Amino acid sequence: MENIFNSQQLLYLALLALSVPLVAFISSLIFKKWAAIIGILSMGISFISSLILFLSIWKKQILHFSFDWIHLSNVKIGAGVLLNDLTVIMLLLISFIALLVTIYSVEYMRKDGLKYRYFAYLSLFCFAMLAVVMANNLFVVYIFWELVGFSSYLLIGFWFSKEKAVQASKKAFIMNRIGDVGFLIGLMILLTQFHTLDIDALFGSGNLIASSFVKNEIWATPFGVLPHYWLSIVGFCFFAGAIAKSAQFPLHTWLPDAMEGPTAVSSLIHAATMVAAGVFLLLRVAPLFDQTVLNTMAIIGLFTAFMAASIAVTQSDIKKVLAFSTISQLGFMVLAVGIQNQAAAIFHLVTHAFFKCLLFLAAGMIIHQLHHIKAKNQSNFNEQDLAIMGGFRKYMPITAVVFLMAAFALSGLPFTSGYLSKDAILVSVFEWAEVRGGFYWLFPLVVSITSWLTTFYIFRVVFKVFFGEFTLPKRLNKTEIELHLKDPNAWMKIPVIILALFCFGFFFALNPFHLEGAWIYQAFNLKPIIDTTYHILVPIYINGLSLVLIFITYQVYAKKAFSFNLERSFLYKFSYNQWYFNQFYDVFLMRLVIFKARCYYWFDQKVIDGFIHFIIKLVIILSAIAAWIDRYIIDGFVNSVALFVSLLGAGLRRLQSGKLQHYYIWMLLLFLTFMIFKIII
Amino acid sequence: MIPLQHFLLVGAILFCLGLFAVITRKNAIQILMGIELMINASILNLVAFGKYDKINNTGQIFALFIIVLAAAAVAVALVIILNLYKRAKTIDPNQTDTLQG
Repeated sequence: MENIFNSQQLLYLALLALSVPLVAFISSLIFKKWAAIIGILSMGISFISSLILFLSIWKKQILHFSFDWIHLSNVKIGAGVLLNDLTVIMLLLISFIALLVTIYSVEYMRKDGLKYRYFAYLSLFCFAMLAVVMANNLFVVYIFWELVGFSSYLLIGFWFSKEKAVQASKKAFIMNRIGDVGFLIGLMILLTQFHTLDIDALFGSGNLIASSFVKNEIWATPFGVLPHYWLSIVGFCFFAGAIAKSAQFPLHTWLPDAMEGPTAVSSLIHAATMVAAGVFLLLRVAPLFDQTVLNTMAIIGLFTAFMAASIAVTQSDIKKVLAFSTISQLGFMVLAVGIQNQAAAIFHLVTHAFFKCLLFLAAGMIIHQLHHIKAKNQSNFNEQDLAIMGGFRKYMPITAVVFLMAAFALSGLPFTSGYLSKDAILVSVFEWAEVRGGFYWLFPLVVSITSWLTTFYIFRVVFKVFFGEFTLPKRLNKTEIELHLKDPNAWMKIPVIILALFCFGFFFALNPFHLEGAWIYQAFNLKPIIDTTYHILVPIYINGLSLVLIFITYQVYAKKAFSFNLERSFLYKFSYNQWYFNQFYDVFLMRLVIFKARCYYWFDQKVIDGFIHFIIKLVIILSAIAAWIDRYIIDGFVNSVALFVSLLGAGLRRLQSGKLQHYYIWMLLLFLTFMIFKIII
Repeated sequence: MIPLQHFLLVGAILFCLGLFAVITRKNAIQILMGIELMINASILNLVAFGKYDKINNTGQIFALFIIVLAAAAVAVALVIILNLYKRAKTIDPNQTDTLQG
């Protein structure tokens, strides 16, 4: 492919892939009727450009274009495009999934009055997301990182007439802002230490990170020195950004709430792409992390994975289950970055994007169809509630099949993409723990439990939704035929079928049992491949138990052979209430913030406003005095002069009586007066 | 020989009578007569003082001039009064006050 396009043309291609969604965003808002077609076309162009870029660059070359943007005294900030393996795989992933989701949305949003906005926001999101992965400079990444967060905010709150959606969008935005502060501080520390934010200069060919070193408790770089702990701080700062974006503990609570947005959005943004941006950032700046940060990352990833999986087990809302599943899987990726198996993180990011997107789209199909039934029968039920579902497999066969495929991939069963990527992480956790020993054996244990929990919660959903008894007709007092439950039309079916194909392991490795053979894994794997026994043992024991769990789940939820009655137990409530994180934040953080805000409000009202009011009163009194002086003294003087003159005039006027003899008398008197004065003086 | 004081006294009385007539009369012609009285009083004074002049008969000559001038003035004044009457149908100066301020 290098022969077909030179680097200049590839640059234009990259800019094309980037700018087309932006053009689509603007034109969708102008040509409202054509928004869906504009959306699909722009995603299609982006996808084709990304595909060409991928074929030209993957494992062949690194292209880096940059121009000076901001030039301060000794700091240059450039803007440009960096195209390496990580960029092009992300480009391909984002544009491909965005294309499928846009096609799917045509049907999903058909009845929505504001759907032109939906497609516009979707294009805006894709523009921002493509820019994040393409940008060559961390500062530019930061700018588009914010734009990604903003478009996510717009899409979560798309149904802005729903109070919950508005709250959720605000929550997501604020939670992300907390992480972004960390990201920004990290940028500033890097700028201080290296005088550049260029990714290529820092981590690539320039390799400034490698040329810095920690010695005698001093972190030295070619540009300056700082105490050694700043290296950890900068790592934590970037990690904070990733925590918020990838919904890791403790900033994970926004993602379940973000499910208030349209399901297609949840699938694209809150499952496949945007939440992966956090992991992507970690991969971009991976050489920066020292051991402290990496260990923290591993612990947080592990904890998040376990916590979210344990919550997903009891959720009753189908989208909430998938949301917590996403958090859990992102935890796996963060864990993989933490144990320095970046290849596994990238691999899992890619495979997870496909099957999780598929899970959401399939759930969206169910929600969409149930919504129609609800609207047609004017009944009132929650179309996302697992309790009303059951036995859908006969009526929605294609949905059932694709959901099952994705569930298999999520559980990591053999022949699926999840088998390769998840087991890559599991195996490396075992290897990592073996090197360290002791306390670190906790990691493989928790990871295994989490993996089984994953299998359990996803098959709980599968069996609750597609198997068991079809209870919906009874609920609505209708016959089964009257309800008319069926698969949605081709707009929705085709994207999910394509995504379902990518759940097969064959797309990622020719031998679906050999994870080191996976092409994505090979491309990023830096370590020599040593076949340890774990490569055989781990998948066998994980999947063996998974199969048993699936059987048990089938018995419990499909056959109702036996049931746990745990709903009153503490653990059930603990999990159902999402470990009480929301309540904890409400009680300890929100109340604190609100109390502080009230204090400031009081201070503002009473002290600052009081002072201002006092000054206002003072000024009013002073001006009243000034007005009085003005009116009665200054004006009074002027007026009295005027009055005197007018009185004088009035008096003198009377002399001019027009009567001849009066004039004569006056003349006489004046003459006499004059004479008398003359005589006296 | 009548002393000067008598002349002056008569002149003063005449002047005062003329003045009184000028100020109090409601008829323009009577006012004119008052003015004539005052002129005559002044002529009497001039003639009386003329006796003490080094040059002879200067007072009498002044008197003659004044009489001529007074006659001319009376002629003019009568014409004015006549015009006033044409215009205002009255010769009462108190009623013709259109020039008042």
